[in-house]
Amino acid sequence: MEQIRITVNGREMVGEKGETVLNIAARNGIEIPNLCYNGKLKLYGACGLCLVEAENSPKLMRACATVAQDGMVLSTNTPRVKKARKIALELIMSDHSGDCVAPCSLNCPAHTDIQGYLKAIANGDDKEAVKIIKEKIPIPASIGRVCPHPCESNCRRRLVEEPLSVAYLKAFAADNDLASDAPYTAAPEEASGKKVAVIGGGPAGLTAAYYLCLSGHAVTVYEAMPEMGGMLRYGIPEYRLPKAVLAKEVAAIEKLGVEMKNNVKVGKDISFEEIKNGADAVLVTIGAWKGSSIGCVGEDLEGVLSGIDFLREVNMGNRPEIGKNVTVVGGGNTAMDACRTAIRCGAENVYVIYRRTRAEAPAEDIEIEEAIEEGVEFLFLTNPAEIIGENGKVSSIKLQVMQLGEPDASGRRKPVPVEGEFRTLDVDTVISAIGQKCAPSGLEEIELTRWGTIVAAKSTCLTNVEGVFAAGDATNNGASIAIDAIAEANEAARAINAYLLGMPMDFPEPYYSKKDVTAEMLADREKKARAVMSVKSPEYRRNNFDEVLNGFTEEQAREEAKRCLECGCHDFKECKLIRYANDEPIAPERLSGAIHESFKETRLVTIERDQGKCILCNLCVRTCKEDVGASILGLVGRGFKTVIKPEFEGTDKIEICKTCGKCVEVCPTGALKLLK
Amino acid sequence: MRIVIGEGSCGIAAGASKVHKAIEALMTENEPFELGSTGCIGMCFLEPIVDLYDGKTLLRRLVKVSADDAANIVEAARSGDVSKVDSITISAEDEEFLSRQTRIALRHCGLIDPVSLDDYREADGYQALEKALKTMTPEQVIEEIKVSGLAGRGGAGFPTWFKWNAARQSVSETKYLICNADEGDPGAFMDRAVIESDPHSLIEGMLIGAYAIGACEMIVYVRAEYPLAITNLEIAIAQAKKANLLGENILGTGFSCDMRIKAGAGAFVCGEETALIESLEGKRGMPRLKPPFPAQKGYMDEPSNINNVETFANVAWIINNGGEAFAAMGTENSKGTKVFALTGKIRKGGLVEIPMGKTLRDVIYGIGGGIRDDKEFKAVQMGGPSGGCIPKELLDTVIDYKALAATGAIMGSGGMVVMDESTCMVGMAKFFLDFTALESCGKCVHCRIGTARMQEILTRIVKGEGKEGDIELLEELCEAVKDGALCGLGQTAPNPVLTTIRYFRNEYEAHIKEKKCPAKECVDLLTYSIDADKCKGCTLCAKKCPAKAISGEVKQAHVIDSDVCIRCGQCVSSCRFGAIVVE
Repeated sequence: MEQIRITVNGREMVGEKGETVLNIAARNGIEIPNLCYNGKLKLYGACGLCLVEAENSPKLMRACATVAQDGMVLSTNTPRVKKARKIALELIMSDHSGDCVAPCSLNCPAHTDIQGYLKAIANGDDKEAVKIIKEKIPIPASIGRVCPHPCESNCRRRLVEEPLSVAYLKAFAADNDLASDAPYTAAPEEASGKKVAVIGGGPAGLTAAYYLCLSGHAVTVYEAMPEMGGMLRYGIPEYRLPKAVLAKEVAAIEKLGVEMKNNVKVGKDISFEEIKNGADAVLVTIGAWKGSSIGCVGEDLEGVLSGIDFLREVNMGNRPEIGKNVTVVGGGNTAMDACRTAIRCGAENVYVIYRRTRAEAPAEDIEIEEAIEEGVEFLFLTNPAEIIGENGKVSSIKLQVMQLGEPDASGRRKPVPVEGEFRTLDVDTVISAIGQKCAPSGLEEIELTRWGTIVAAKSTCLTNVEGVFAAGDATNNGASIAIDAIAEANEAARAINAYLLGMPMDFPEPYYSKKDVTAEMLADREKKARAVMSVKSPEYRRNNFDEVLNGFTEEQAREEAKRCLECGCHDFKECKLIRYANDEPIAPERLSGAIHESFKETRLVTIERDQGKCILCNLCVRTCKEDVGASILGLVGRGFKTVIKPEFEGTDKIEICKTCGKCVEVCPTGALKLLK
Repeated sequence: MRIVIGEGSCGIAAGASKVHKAIEALMTENEPFELGSTGCIGMCFLEPIVDLYDGKTLLRRLVKVSADDAANIVEAARSGDVSKVDSITISAEDEEFLSRQTRIALRHCGLIDPVSLDDYREADGYQALEKALKTMTPEQVIEEIKVSGLAGRGGAGFPTWFKWNAARQSVSETKYLICNADEGDPGAFMDRAVIESDPHSLIEGMLIGAYAIGACEMIVYVRAEYPLAITNLEIAIAQAKKANLLGENILGTGFSCDMRIKAGAGAFVCGEETALIESLEGKRGMPRLKPPFPAQKGYMDEPSNINNVETFANVAWIINNGGEAFAAMGTENSKGTKVFALTGKIRKGGLVEIPMGKTLRDVIYGIGGGIRDDKEFKAVQMGGPSGGCIPKELLDTVIDYKALAATGAIMGSGGMVVMDESTCMVGMAKFFLDFTALESCGKCVHCRIGTARMQEILTRIVKGEGKEGDIELLEELCEAVKDGALCGLGQTAPNPVLTTIRYFRNEYEAHIKEKKCPAKECVDLLTYSIDADKCKGCTLCAKKCPAKAISGEVKQAHVIDSDVCIRCGQCVSSCRFGAIVVE
């Protein structure tokens, strides 16, 4: 064979005469993106991704179809080539209708592979489920119990009847795994020799510690409190998250190799400087431990306390004196935890004061429901006007009656006072649960926002101090739900790992294809009610801290997991299209228009073809014809409306199909799927 | 005397067959005249056309003839007193439509009987073939074509000799000569005219080409929508075979070549040569990657040469008259003549063949007589959906491949759609893009999705839903599609959009920013109202309005409810007082 020499991206390479540019480049380690090329088949040249620029040639050339000539000088990454490839991808993506990832996962702040672990649970493989969950969440038994599960709010099954019980299934799998003889443990990579200090052992700190430890770094967590767990340990009441469960998950992280130092408060027991000097990177995850004040007269009286202080006391095993009549101010989950804890501490009359209505309350509705069951009285549309005391101690609270006015910036109707209407309650304790603040101390170098939270860069979690990162409730917008802290900790761990390895720390937002699905599209699904977990009776609950939930039965869990619609693409991990779409930023939305509807062709019996995902590369058609020799598939229609169908739309040809699966193998996207 | 009726498709459409039947009905035995038919003379604006001949001399050319004129025509033919048909005789001015032309490709059109081999032979037919086969080597034929400077008339303007030579050089026992008679440009009809009116000139031109490249078979790929062309060509092929002009040992020279017709289903992309080959092979019409070029691997993977009808129609003339005579006409880089199909808002529409080097003004004003209804010329779309528009300021552009390309338009196959002030240029661009988007074969991403996206953007602009940045987005898409599309269809599809943006950007901006259509053509952007001062309250508009949007008392000014109005324009045409205001 005669040899030729070409230059690609400044590198000289040798090829055989007659070889295409694409092949020579690929053999020399330069992948030129392509979606319709296959070495076994005749040249086709449709996708337009493999365009390259040649010296002295005015036009871009298709690398898949260009036979290399001796002395050719080519570039695969010039601005012109990149622009051409970008718009080709945008055009393809503008008519690619499918969900790379299921909406549950997209809406989980940590982007947990929910579809993946639900499938494992459905298959009875809890260890596998936990393995998948632990790619993002190292404490699933705890999080499964407390998470307000944005995944469920976005579960597409709600268009059929009700969302899946994702959070509880997670707890189910994790509980089973913890109870098993050999709970799942990931293996850390080889020691990197780098040290990381984590300040604060809450969900964010534990998460980052876990993943950094897995990456081979030596991690030490400094915790001011006597035990690890942060708000999960000291904020969430025992009846929602038994501390023994959390302790097991913490122990597993410790066992992995994370060094845990409790009762060490930075700025008091150890200086920030000392921590910095002793580590290659520092992560600050100190949380938001200060309750916001009510802002009315009398809030300094004895008997007025914040929700988190109250919950912390109780969670430390103390029983604060709260008297008979307790008022909790606020409509969020902390308020629910506080009022239900107050009931359990023996208060006879517990009121919740909330200035809007139940519909606007940020607390989970089930929490409100269960609180009412336990005897809490909700005073909606009331707001504290004044806390009245006797001898320096709370005696009553004056409430302004409110009504809902115009919607505010957040879209919620704004509560406005009803002029002159008040009511008064006799109370012994006022618990304010209207928000949390971050109160950093001992970290003076670190730049704070005007709300007192730490300024941490998006995605990298970097603070203004070299080598110091921050995540969780303590940063930027302040307190949020645990899974948000975990999500940020994942990012922080990724950034810190990159920092320690001297790699770029910025990871661009991945691009996903998404699809709009309506209830009509799911009309053919069989209805199957959501599993209801049994709970302890309200009467039983009132005077103890036993876990309210009884957990799923085995059968319940397996059946519930099977309800998953598997919205995410089966081919996501192998999909060439989405890989290219993430190489450089693209914006197909600007080209959005008509799409090929997601029609599912099932006439091939064991092969399902999703028209919405098909990019018409024609590889299946060509493979069936040229490689298999069956010619079952063909192009039908013209222009934009062209589709792939059994050739000539006939049925006789379909019978020839022997399900060899070669069409499925060559499909560069998830448009074809073997049904088995 | 001979009565000859122009019965090309356009003549028939205008009523020529009725005229024919009416005359025939009046004829008795032993009339002193004959009745015959011919093809298309190319004066669409005067159809149906009837010629009165004395021997070979044209006595009278009668225009816009109707069946009612049959008696007078027969009378004139019987008596020889042609003054009886004075009223329908062509005017001196209209005669200039032809006299100002130089006809080579169309040299016999409308003059001979298309299905008479004798007529063709009398007009020097098949002399060039004989000359080529008996006195010239294939190389000499190619050389003669090279001297002539003949370039492909289908659109790309590639030198014909070069393609012939490439096919000649390809070594194979089996080679094909293919005629592209797909003529997909919706505004062009010269190829149809040639096949219908002078099929033997196509056969002769192709035979010379086949001899030059060494082809054993000739295939004419003609669209099925051209039934008369197919019929006449079938007849001509049969005649030629019988006369030993086709088949084995043609004219005793030892050269053998057969010919057949393949009717195409009318996909625009099948005018692209590699898609045409796929279609010929019985596959879906989709372009192939080039190289290999058809001259190396074409039909059935054998060396093939493809030219269009008009190109072949010039060949016999060149062999008869010499390449130099052909090259004497035209410009530095565009030789000979070119046929244009002049349509649109032109006074005199039809087929115009003129030497290269004339200006657009010569064609549109000199021959076409300017704009209909004394309106203002706005632009001319050259080259159909693949071409571009040329505005008033560039009317003096010379007809020449390079000069036309410099304007953003193309010579193309010769479609020339004339537009006046009432044509919306955004709507025009959308019209052509609708066509190409629909006709895209769907193979490559740029063409399949790119043209669809451009079409969507144009649609929202003409609906008044255009967005800031749409013009720039269109331009970006245009460049991407031009660069990335696989074949000529996609690569040229953006041309109408690019040229209208280039010359009429203000119209795009008016649609997007002011939600106005300056040409008042985009119905979604129009409002109809009644000028109360002019309205006499005649109620006619209210009666005509199909949407019942107009109300008012008799003899009182009427009003239009614009929420109900469907902007059909019926009121405008019904109002005798010019009271309807369209904005």
